[in-house]
Formats: sequence, structure tokens, C-alpha cells
Amino acid sequence: MTPVHPSVVLRTSALVAGYEPDLPIVKGVDLAVERGDFLVILGPNGAGKSTLVKAIAGLVPIHGGTIALEDEDITARAAHRLVGAGLAFVPQTENVFTTLSIDENLKLCAGVLPAALRAERIEAAYAMFPDLAARRAMAAGGLSGGQRQMLATARALLIEPRVIILDEPSAGLSPKLVGEVFETLARVNATGVTIVLVEQNVRAGLGAAKSALVLADGRVVHRGPAAGLADDPALGEMFLGRHAPQGWAA
Amino acid sequence: MNAQALIDGLIAGAMIGLGAIGVTLTYSILRFANFAHGEFIAWGAYFALALVSTLGVGMDPIGPFSFGWMLIVAAVLAALLTGGLAVLLDRLLFASFRSRGSATIIMVIASFGASMALRALLEFVFTSKPVYFTRELQIAVRLGGGMRATPDQLLMLAVTAVLVLGVHLLLTRSAIGRQMRAVSENPTLARLAGVDVRRVIRWVWFLGGSLAASAGVMSGLLVQIRPYMGFDLLLPLFAAAILGGIGSVPGAILGGLIVGLCESFAVELIGAEWRAAVGFVVLTLVLLLRPQGILGQVAR
Repeated sequence: MTPVHPSVVLRTSALVAGYEPDLPIVKGVDLAVERGDFLVILGPNGAGKSTLVKAIAGLVPIHGGTIALEDEDITARAAHRLVGAGLAFVPQTENVFTTLSIDENLKLCAGVLPAALRAERIEAAYAMFPDLAARRAMAAGGLSGGQRQMLATARALLIEPRVIILDEPSAGLSPKLVGEVFETLARVNATGVTIVLVEQNVRAGLGAAKSALVLADGRVVHRGPAAGLADDPALGEMFLGRHAPQGWAA
Repeated sequence: MNAQALIDGLIAGAMIGLGAIGVTLTYSILRFANFAHGEFIAWGAYFALALVSTLGVGMDPIGPFSFGWMLIVAAVLAALLTGGLAVLLDRLLFASFRSRGSATIIMVIASFGASMALRALLEFVFTSKPVYFTRELQIAVRLGGGMRATPDQLLMLAVTAVLVLGVHLLLTRSAIGRQMRAVSENPTLARLAGVDVRRVIRWVWFLGGSLAASAGVMSGLLVQIRPYMGFDLLLPLFAAAILGGIGSVPGAILGGLIVGLCESFAVELIGAEWRAAVGFVVLTLVLLLRPQGILGQVAR
């Protein structure tokens, strides 16, 4: 048993996950996210980044290891019950209900909160994202890509999560919008919310994050502060080859 | 051209529409065509019949209507029982296919089997001889323009309107309605939003079964009760659900009214033997011209 570190919000131990039991994509990942951290998970295509976060969110079957949210074991807990436990996940695509209005999108997610808190939290979300407040009754399908990402983030923040996990929020957005999304995330992180981010856009991801984790072939090949990693030649090598370069602990 | 065809069409359409709401909801949430849905119509009628004939009180007609208060009580209980039957059918049959990730076609064929079994059970218990809630004669009221309707028929139109409004409000204003729409659009995202998808599925079955039972009781009151009463409505139900746009409750009722009116006008204009073909014709035309239906949304 590893002793529970009080400041660790999310921990995975020897996590093995994948859609098929005999074809693991995540091959024994140990992860410890400190409270207030902004962690970016990087790695080449097929490294298992998305599968790792989806497994944590209860969307991909787990075949070994454990996941804990603070001192609570949440391994293989149903996805809809993780929200109440304080784990919010924002998928890469289709992350808002297009046929529901903005208000309904937020009300739906507020459903896991005690009734007395719902209206107050929704107003707080609107205060954080005034663009959304101006369009409450509009169907979310009419929003632009950046606004959808905003709504998806607002939806996740509504529950005041202990940790919020985002799967490539910058995918398909223009460079300007990518900048806005990362600014928003930095703002959210500054309020004390722990963020875990999967990102293909290495520079933008490292620019916003405090710490980084690099995956290759379903395993952790590097972990450390985000600052300076962008200029580390080993990182480039990482993305070209798929193996851990010399000097990096696997 | 007889204006009476309009009244007949509206009444037939109201019943088709009530049944089609269940079809459209189960289709949009579970993504398969439930061929057993027609049986809920018949089971609803037989549940009510069994309750009325077993209890045997409150049979004296109320005011201008042909039935007593017992039928109203029996109709409500039949709706609850049929809703329960639908939930049970899902639990025993479809849930196990879902958990195994079975292909849609397996669900469809399973529903076909369930349909036959449910119908055969009715024939076994009640025989296939048509039965009636009431033998009272009703005098039709003149509505002007050559149209007539019995008080029962007018009441059934009103009840349909109330039920449809109720379902519409449930879907648009309540938390469970919001959850149903969310699951219908994106079940994975709904889970991430904290929605218990299995609970939503139970609600959809219950609601669909109850509404089908209401249609069954009405049809039993206005026409007759027989084991095939639901199965024979299956094609019009699907035509209405697809015509209105899968997932849309106002669409289902609008589709039902259009199919009912088309049937009624076809009887008037080309002959009663063509009635059953109308569902096919409407379905084919919609699929050719506007596959997403009148009120259906194109996926974005």
C-alpha cells in the first residue's frame, strides 16, 4: 500500500485499460495529480492519452490497477456517479447537447447538485462566461466551436469539481480560439481547480500547464515541470521515435 | 367528399399518434424499432377490460357517455400496469442484449418475437373473439358541416390533447424530460453530465407503455377489443413516428393525425380495402422526400 498523500487529488496505480481485455492501450500507468496542479498529458498519436483519461472518467473498461479520487477508490465506478464524486470530464468532440438550449445544458448538469445550490451555481457559471449568459435560450447547436468549448467547460465547472479533465479542448479550433481556451483554463486553474489536460498541441499545452506527463505506447516515459520542456530536444525525439530517449526514466 | 371523413380521420389519428409517441421515444433513445410496441396497445385494453369485468362496479354510464366511472379508474390502472409491463419486457429481454452490445437487428428481431409471444398470450387468455367495454348505444352529436361525432369520440379527442400536452411539458420542462432528450442526443455525454441512463431508459419504457395503453383503451371503447388491435396499428404507428420526425413528440402526434386523415380520406375516395396501404404510401413518400420527418432535426 502506498501511503495516501494528503495533497494528491487524483491517483492511478498500475492502471491497465483498453476496449478489449487482451489488447490493453494503457499499460500500467502511475499518476498522481497534486491539488491545484495544471497537468498536461502529452505523447505521440496512439500513446494512449485519451484512453487513459477516458478510463479515469469511467468510459473505457479497466483491466487492472486502481484509481482514487482523494481517499476514495473510484476504480470502475459508473461514469454518471463520478460527477457527483467531483470528477468532471470534457470530451474532445460532441461535448455539448446541441438540441438543448444553453440553459438546459447547464441545468442538466446541475442535476447532480443539491436543489438549493443549482440556481446559484448556474448564475456563477454565467458570471464566468458572459458570452453564454447573453444566449441562454439559444440551442447549443448554434454556438461556434469556441463557444461550445466554453459551454462544455462551464458545464464541467458547475459541480465545483475536485478535478476537471479535458480531452484535447483545442482540437479543431483556430489558433486565436486555442489561445482563448487556454486563457480560460488558466483562469479556472487560478481559482484553485485542479486541471488535467490531454493535448496534441504541445506548445500551447506546455505554455499553459504547470506540470507535464509524457506517454508513449501506454506507459509514462517522462514526468516533470512543464516549464522548459518545450525546448528539451528529448521531447522532439519522443514524438518522432516512440521510445523513451536516453536519460529519461521510463 | 364527405366531411365526416375528417372526424373519423382525426379520431383514428389521435390513437395512432398516442401509440407513435412511444415508438418515437424508444427509437430515439434505444435506437431500434420496437415491433412489440403495438402489443402494449392491446395489453392496455385487455388490462382495463379485465379490471372492469372483475370489479363489476361503477358500470352505469356517466352523463352522455357510454361508460361508467369504473372504466376511468381501470384505464388509469391499465396505463400503470402496461407501463410496468414495458419496463419488465426491457428488463427481461432488451437489457441483456444491450449489455452484450448486440447489433440493432438482433434487438429488432427480438422485439418481433416478443410481439408474437405477447399477442399469443392474449389470445390464450381472452381468445381471439372481439369484445367490448360497453354495449350502450350512443347518439352522435351534429357538429355542423355534415359532421357528427359521439360524445365518447369527442371526449377521446380531448383526452388525447391533454395527454400530448402533458408529455410535451414533461419533456420540455421537467428534469427527467431534459435527461431523456440528452440521452437521445448523446448517451455518453449524458453519463458524463451525471445522468443515470438506465433510469432514463426505464422512464421511456414506462411512458411509452402507458401512452400505448391509453390508446388501447380508447380504441377498445370506440371500436372493439381484440388481440390483433395493436399489431394491426404497427405500420401506421411507424409511419406516424417517422413522418413526424424521430424523437419529436409533437411530430408523432402530428404524424398520427396526418396518417389517420389519409387513411380516412383513402377509404372515402378509393375504397376501404386500401386503408392499410396508406401507411405504406405515407412512409415511402416521407422517406423519399424528407427522411428526417416534419419536425425531426438533422444531426449537426
